[in-house]
Amino acid sequence: MRRAALVLVAGAFGAILSGAPALAHTGESGGGFVSGMAHPIFGPDHVVAMVAVGLWGAFLGSPAIWLLPIVFPLVMAFGGVLGIIGVPMIAVETGIATSAIVLGLMVALAARPPLWAAAALVGAFAIFHGYAHGRELPDGANAVAFSAGFVIATGLLHVCGIAFGVLSRWPAGRCAVRAAGGVIALVGVAYLSGLA
Amino acid sequence: MITPLLEGMWQFFVPTHLLAVGALGLLIGQGRRAVLLAPFALGFAAGALVIATAVRETPAATALLVIAALAGILVVLAWTSALLGTALAFAAGGAIALNSPPQALTIPAAIAMQLGAAVAASATLALIAFIPPRAARPWQQIGVRVVGSWITASAILVLALRLAR
Repeated sequence: MRRAALVLVAGAFGAILSGAPALAHTGESGGGFVSGMAHPIFGPDHVVAMVAVGLWGAFLGSPAIWLLPIVFPLVMAFGGVLGIIGVPMIAVETGIATSAIVLGLMVALAARPPLWAAAALVGAFAIFHGYAHGRELPDGANAVAFSAGFVIATGLLHVCGIAFGVLSRWPAGRCAVRAAGGVIALVGVAYLSGLA
Repeated sequence: MITPLLEGMWQFFVPTHLLAVGALGLLIGQGRRAVLLAPFALGFAAGALVIATAVRETPAATALLVIAALAGILVVLAWTSALLGTALAFAAGGAIALNSPPQALTIPAAIAMQLGAAVAASATLALIAFIPPRAARPWQQIGVRVVGSWITASAILVLALRLAR
C-alpha cells in the first residue's frame, strides 16, 4: 500500500511537471518548467546556499530538518514578489554570496541557535534569492511552469543537503558534513570577493 | 463525441489547473474529507453554466492561482477547516470550468469537451487526495507539507507577475 502511495506521489509529480498546453488554452507551456528547473541549478552561489539550508536543517534535527525547507520557499516567494514589482533592493548578489558564507559557517561550526533564530536567518537570506529569481521571472505564457520549476529545483537542492546532512548521525559523517559546510562558506567567499 | 471528450480532458492539463488541483487535493486528503469532491463538482457545473451564457473574459486563471496559494498554505499549516475546504473546492471547480472554454463548433461537442475537462479535473483531484491519508510515516506527512509550500511559492510568484505587469 505504501509503495502504491509512493507511485501515486510520483505520478502526481509527473502530471504537474509535464503539464502541457491544451490547444484551446492560453499557451502555458511545460517547456518553461525545464528552464525554471535549470535556473537555480546553473547558479553555483544559489546551489551551495540551498544545499547549506538542507545540511543545516539535517544537522539541527527535527523539527528544523523540515521547517527550514518549508520556510525558505515561502519567504523566497515574498522576495520574488519584491523583485517582480520592482521594489529597489541593494546588494542582492552580496546577500546571496553572504548567505552561502553564513549558512556554510553555521554548518562548519555546528552552530545550534534556537529554532526561531535559524528560521529567521534562513528566511532573511531567502529574500535575496527570491528577489534575484523574481527579477528574472519570464513574463507571459511560461511563468507558471517556470516558477514551479525553479521552486521545485530549489526544494530538491534542499533535499540533497538533507540527504548528505543525515550522515551527521555518525562521527565520520559529522566531520564530512562540517567540512562540506566549510567548502560552502569558501565558495561564498569566492563569490563575495569576485574570484568566482 | 469521443474526440471532443478527449480534447476536453487534455484541455485540463495546464500548469495553472494542476497547481490549484494539486494543492486542493493535498488539502482534501490531509483532512480526509473525500466529501469535498462534491462541492468541486458543483462548482465545475456552475462554471460550465456560466460558460454556456457565452461569457468570454474572466479572471479565472488569476483566481486559480489565489486558490492554489491559499490551499497550499493550509496544507503547510495542516489546517483542515471544512468550511474553507468547501469554499476552495467550489471556487476551484468553477474557476477551472471558466478557464476551460470549449473550442467547439456544435453544442454537443462543446458539452462533451466540458464533460471531458470535468472528468480529468475530478479524477486528478481524487488521485491527489488519495495520497495524504496513505502518507503514514512522519517524513511522508512532512513531504506533503513541503509540496504545499512549493505550490504556494509558485502560485504567489506568478500571481505577483500577473498583477504587476
